[in-house]
Order: sequence, then structure tokens, then C-alpha cells
Amino acid sequence: MTRFVLGRLAWMAAILLGVSLVAFLLMRAIPGDFAIAAAGSQSVAPEVLAAIRRDLGLDQPLMAQYLGWLGHALTGDLGTSFVTRRPVLGELLDRLAVTIQLTLLAAVIAAAMGVATGLAAARLRGVTDWLVRLWNGLMLAVPNYVVATLIVLLFGLYFPEVTVLGYTPFLENPLANLASLLLPAIALALAVSVTIAENTRAAVLEVANQDFVMVARAKGLTPATILRDYLMRNALTPVVTAAGLKIAALLGGSILVETIFAIPGMGQYLFDSINSRDYPVIQAIVLVAAGIVVLVNTLIDIAYARIDARVQM
Amino acid sequence: MSGPAQESGQAAAAAPAGAGRRGGLGQGWPLLGLGLAMLALMLALTVFAPLVAPYDPSATSPDSLAPASAAHWLGTDSIGRDVLSRLIVGGRTTLLITVAAVLIALVAGLILGLAAGYLGGRTDEIVMRLLDVVFAFPVLLLAIAVVAALGPTVPNLILTIAIVYTPAMARVVRAPVLSVKRWDHVEAARSVGMSEMRLVLRHILPIVVSPILVATSLTLSQTIFTVTALSFLGLGPPPPDPNWGGMLSEARQFMELAPLTVIGPAAAIVFATLTFIIIANGLREVLDVGSVR
Amino acid sequence: MTGPLLRVRDLAATVTTRREVIRAVRGISFDINADEAVGFVGESGCGKSVTAKALMRLAPEGASIALGGSVAFWGQELLALDEVEMRDLRGRRIAMVFQDPMTSLNPVMSIGAQMADMLRRHLGLSGRAARERGIELLDLVGIPDPARRIDDFPHQFSGGQRQRILIAIAISCEPDLLIADEPTTALDVTVQAQILRLLLRLREERGMALMLITHDFGVVAGMVDRVNVMYRGEIVETGLVDDVFSAPQHAYTRALLDAVPRLQGAGATR
Repeated sequence: MTRFVLGRLAWMAAILLGVSLVAFLLMRAIPGDFAIAAAGSQSVAPEVLAAIRRDLGLDQPLMAQYLGWLGHALTGDLGTSFVTRRPVLGELLDRLAVTIQLTLLAAVIAAAMGVATGLAAARLRGVTDWLVRLWNGLMLAVPNYVVATLIVLLFGLYFPEVTVLGYTPFLENPLANLASLLLPAIALALAVSVTIAENTRAAVLEVANQDFVMVARAKGLTPATILRDYLMRNALTPVVTAAGLKIAALLGGSILVETIFAIPGMGQYLFDSINSRDYPVIQAIVLVAAGIVVLVNTLIDIAYARIDARVQM
Repeated sequence: MSGPAQESGQAAAAAPAGAGRRGGLGQGWPLLGLGLAMLALMLALTVFAPLVAPYDPSATSPDSLAPASAAHWLGTDSIGRDVLSRLIVGGRTTLLITVAAVLIALVAGLILGLAAGYLGGRTDEIVMRLLDVVFAFPVLLLAIAVVAALGPTVPNLILTIAIVYTPAMARVVRAPVLSVKRWDHVEAARSVGMSEMRLVLRHILPIVVSPILVATSLTLSQTIFTVTALSFLGLGPPPPDPNWGGMLSEARQFMELAPLTVIGPAAAIVFATLTFIIIANGLREVLDVGSVR
Repeated sequence: MTGPLLRVRDLAATVTTRREVIRAVRGISFDINADEAVGFVGESGCGKSVTAKALMRLAPEGASIALGGSVAFWGQELLALDEVEMRDLRGRRIAMVFQDPMTSLNPVMSIGAQMADMLRRHLGLSGRAARERGIELLDLVGIPDPARRIDDFPHQFSGGQRQRILIAIAISCEPDLLIADEPTTALDVTVQAQILRLLLRLREERGMALMLITHDFGVVAGMVDRVNVMYRGEIVETGLVDDVFSAPQHAYTRALLDAVPRLQGAGATR
């Protein structure tokens, strides 16, 4: 087990390295001069341009630049924004906090909705099952930004007095914070909850067919006990791990949802920085976002392997 | 060593020998038929777009934000352009990018997956590790980053999306290849001296076809999402090409005044996505791939 | 407590799955007395397992069973009970041991926990008491070092041991009747004899009635007092085990007997 964990962590480090390389190369692949982008305007004196080049290390070989950038990144220096001229790290962390709040809320909603509907479909069957599956099938076809836009439209048309856009920080007003994140979280959660529902349904159906569930019934245990200890404990393990892997989808989707609901998170930061050609920021966001996804996926892989070892035999 | 498996890879590669029970949202053939009909409709509309569209999609008019009428079935947008025409022409670009990108990803995935699966050993490891790095990125994030770096032209979009979805395709191909490699009749053919290439083509490829078809369909549906999301964020095909995501984004400003400007593109996006999902599910049941109860 | 422990009259069971409807049991009648062991022998599909499940009113997942006839347990009509009352009975008065020990235990619960939930449910034992009783039971069925192994998980035991544990669970609440459905079929030959001996011993120690279901006539020899031979949902022959062995009346019974490998030779004719 320890060997596996170490191996997995080493693998994670390797992927992160690859991710950083991709993030770095992407920004160096842009057409046009990096230095000009840094300067912010086309008409800049050549001496200034040369100074900028030296400053950013652009006169060094690519590999050296990459290693320099990587070294800085590992110590927390993610560069300086072309637009604000301030360190990227500070702004990024603030935005990241907001995105994490949104993503966590969405994850909770998705899990609750998904497990509940999946369980209902699997145990109640009949019409409920059919309805749930229909809903699931349709919802998979509606992208999260379409849902988000439609929600804003709905409120705009029928509840114009309710503010759906914007964000209130938690420390300012916890309740308002939750209210401002609720609708975007739902928009974000919907598609993911559908996948969780399908997984839960399949898992519960599969477990319910197992011999040990029949044995549990023959023992005269109450349905509640059987559901909790025999069905869910076995069904949820694969569901939870599959759900955890959806973090990637949630992070990707948050880019769109934040933009629509005017939430100042990392997604909107990315959007703004693309529009303003703020390359150090884009680079940093790509690195951090991908890094988080890789980290979470690795942790889930490890957790699942530990549980799976038990179930294996 | 395997990392997280995205939807299409995991589902389609799960059980190529078919452990599924038919049922669920409908039996195989009607579902597949429905999906193909929807696809035919979309293709007909978009291929003949210039003929089908009632107006020039770029033609502005003073009649802005108009509701549905006989003249404009879906109304007009904020500068008087006919929504329906823009949807039809926009569909053309969207589908073009989608299909082209997925085809490239398919071919690349086939080559890489066959190579990795069949040759095994170091080749397999190296190829899979490289793909894992690409795979580690959230799809949209990577697409955004690449398009932002290279610039949002149609060829760049196609290339970006192809890159993003190649790892998943390769995985889907690799899985059955790994298991088929050891089958008896493959061993037998090899012992008789059949050349490696013929072996791959005649024995291994057919096994791979079913999950690949399903995965391609699923990837097409996911690509619609990615393409329209990119254009929603302003990273889509540049104007004057209309595109669904961009239409949706532009419409947000005045959407309470003219809901159709939002509902139109939304419905188109959902329709296209649904088409490929239905085809994927239909194929899955008809070809008996994986287990979907 | 009136009459025999179990009196079954004209029991009929129709199993309905998504695809088909099967009349698995077509009107069988038999008795089991309080300290008797009765064998049910027949090939797969003859309805013996369905009979056992019918007695417990357990339908397989995804199927429903329609029952007819009468099943009187100590004079009480089981088919008239509602699910809640049936649940109180299961495990407490009638218990069952199933065929495949590898899949009959919950993989994510310790065996101690799987014993305790039953003890808690029927006998109201909590925590410490349940654990001690569990250790006693493990010792009773021959699991070595029970005090330490009670916290182990199913995958840490062999097939034979798991079956012992399942038997321990089944008898933990002192049921009046133990139904054993092919308890040795999934085990190695050497282990089979051990399990059968265990069942025999427990029966003698507790005076518990035993309903032993199997497709193998060799298993019931020496284990039961009477035997019912089932074929296609009906009982085609019944009688004391020695009588049936030595003078089978029905052609099917003869065929089943012929199928038993005769290594020992003693006591078996033809």
C-alpha cells in the first residue's frame, strides 16, 4: 500500500511538471512579441522594450526561462500582472477562495441531489425510475452556461426584484454570501448531479442484487438498517470516487457560470485576463487550476485504492 | 497508473464483451433511429444553410428585439438581425468545427491507442503518460488556454479541440486492444505467421469499432458543449460568422426584452447535444457495449 | 405451541421477473417437527430453493413471488402476516444459511458488526454484550482465536470459515428452525464434511429443527431423518431417509441416487 501511495504521488509530481510545462509553453506560443504585450502598447521605445526583455528574462534560452519561471512559481511568485502591475499571487488567491466556495457548494448540491434521485430511482423503480432517467437524459444535453443564462432570464422576467447577479463575501454577511452563490451553484451542479444520479442508481441496483443483501433481509433487519449498512456503504464508494473526479468538470464549468452571475472568482479572472491579454495571469491560472485537479484526482485515487483493497477479496 | 477516466472512455471501454441488459430509456433501434433522424435534420439545415436561411445572417434592420412573427419566426436580435437565419448559419460553423475536430481526435486516438495497446511495454507507458498530462487538464480550461494563446480562428479551434479529446479516444481504443491481444485466435493467427499489420487490421480493429463508435458520439456531444462554450466566452470563430455560443452571450444584455434571442440558441445547443447523446445511447444498446441499465 | 413446528399444505409459489413468469412450486405439502432434520433433494430448478425462500417470504431482488396455500409455524399462519411481523420472525424464529459464503457477507463490515446488528435487532443486546456473545458464537463454530478475529473483515477468512461464520450468525438468536440451502455446494470436498458435521453438532446441542436443501443425495445421508424428493415444483417422494435410500419408489429418485458417487460402498445398493 505504501509503495502504491508513493508511486501515485511521484506520478502526480510528474504530471504537475508536465502541466507546468504546458502552461508555460502555451503563453510562449502566442503570436507576436511577449515583450510588447508586457509593455502594453505597440509604440514603445526600443530601449524600453530591451529593458523589459531583460527583466522578464526573454533573452535567455527557453529552457532557462521555463526553469526560472517554475522556480519562482514553487516559491509562490507567480509573476506580475501586465495589467495591474501587482503580483499575481495575491489576486489569484482571493479569486480562488471565491471559486472554491462556489465549487464546494455546487459539489454538495450535486451530491445531495444526485444521490437522492439515484437512490429513489433504484429503490422505487416504476414511474419514478422512468422520470428520473428521462430528466437525467435531458439534463445531460443542457450545458451549464445555458442553464445559468436561463436561470438569470427566468428571474429577470418573473422575479425582477430579486438580485441574482453579484457576490457578497462570507465575512461580510454569511447569509447573503450563501444567497449569492446558491443559484450559480445550482446551475453548476445540475449536469454533475445527473451523472452522480446515474452512477448511484446503477450502483444501488447492482448492490441490491448481491447475496449479502438477501442475507441481511433473511436476518430480519429493518429496511433502514439494510439501506444504510448494506446498500449504501457498498454502493456509495464507487459513486463518491466518481463524483470526486468531477471536480475537474466543476472547475471548468465555474469559468462560465461565474461570468454569467458576475461572481469574482478564478473563472472570471481568467476571462478578464484573456480579454486584456494579461499572459502571466493566464499562465498562473492554468497552472493552479490544473494543479488542483491533479491533486484532487490523485487523492481520490489513493483513497479509493485503500477501500478497494478491502473489497477486492 | 491509470488516472481518472472521463465519461466516454470509462463507459464505453468498461465491458466490450457487453454486460448490459437492454432497456432503460428505450430499446436500441428506435433510439438510434431517432438520433440519426435528428442528425439528418441538422445536417440538412446546415449544409444547405445559405438556401434554407430566410435572411442574410449579418443583415441588420431597424426592427430590433422583435418578438416572433410571420416575417421573423424567432424574432430579431438587438441590431435587427433575424435570429433563425443566424441559428441556421451558425449551426454550420459549429457543426463543421465539431465534426472536424472529433474526426481528427478519432484518427489520432486510434493510432495512439492501437500503438499503445498492441505494442505494449515501453511504448504503451510513454504514450499513456504523455496523454495523461493532457488528460489532467479540465477540458474547457485547456481549450481556453490554447485558443487564447494561438488565437481564435477556425483551424485553431479545430486543432485545439482535437488535442483536448485525443487522450480520451486513445483510452477507449487501448482498452479492448489490451484484452483482445491475448485472445486465442489472435495467438493462433500470429503463430501461423500473419504479419503484425494484418493482425491488427483484421482481428483487433473490429473489436475496437463498437466502443469507438459510442465514444465518438459521446465526444461529439461534449465537443458541441466545448465549442459553444468557447464562443460564449468570445473565443469562438470571429465575426461575422454567427455562432450559437456567441449569440447566447450577446443576447444576455437585453434578454428580458426579447427572450427568444436566448431561447433560440439555447434550444439549438440542446438539440445538437441531445442528438449525439441519443445516438450514443442507441449505439450502445444496439451494439451491446458496456452496461447501462 | 400447537402441532408440528412447521406444517405446509399445498404451498404454491409463482415467481414473476421482468422477463417471465414461472410456477416454481406447484402445491407441495410437508411437515417438520421440532427436533427433526428434513432433507429436500432435487436438481436445480426443481423449486427447492424457492420453497425455502417462500417459507421466509423472501423474494429475490427484482422479482416478486405470489404465494398460495398454507404455511403454519407453530400453528401461526405465516402467509397471513404482514412484512413487519415477518421481519420479526426472520432470524429470530426461522433462520437461513445460503449457498455461496464468498458473497454472503457484507465486504465492508467486520464480521463482529454483522453478528451484532442481528443480536441488537432481535435480542436487544448492545455493544459489549453483543461482542461477547459474538466471540462465544465464533468459538462455537470453530473459528480459532475468536476474540481477535471478531474485528476482521470477510476477505480475511477462507470459504469454509466464512460459511461457519454465516452459520454462527444464523443460529445466534436461537431460532427454532434452521434452513440450510445448499450450504456445502460452493465449498471444497474436504471442507464440506466439516460444515456438515458442524450443522449436525449444533442441531444436537440445541435441539433445533433443520431443513437441509441440496441436489446431492450424498449430503443428506447421515444428516437427516426424513427426506423429500422434489422434481419440477412437486414432491415426488417422501419418507425416512434410510427407506428412500434402500427402496426408492420414484424413477427420478432412483436417478438421483445413481448420481451419487459411491466410494464407500456401504449401505448403498444398486
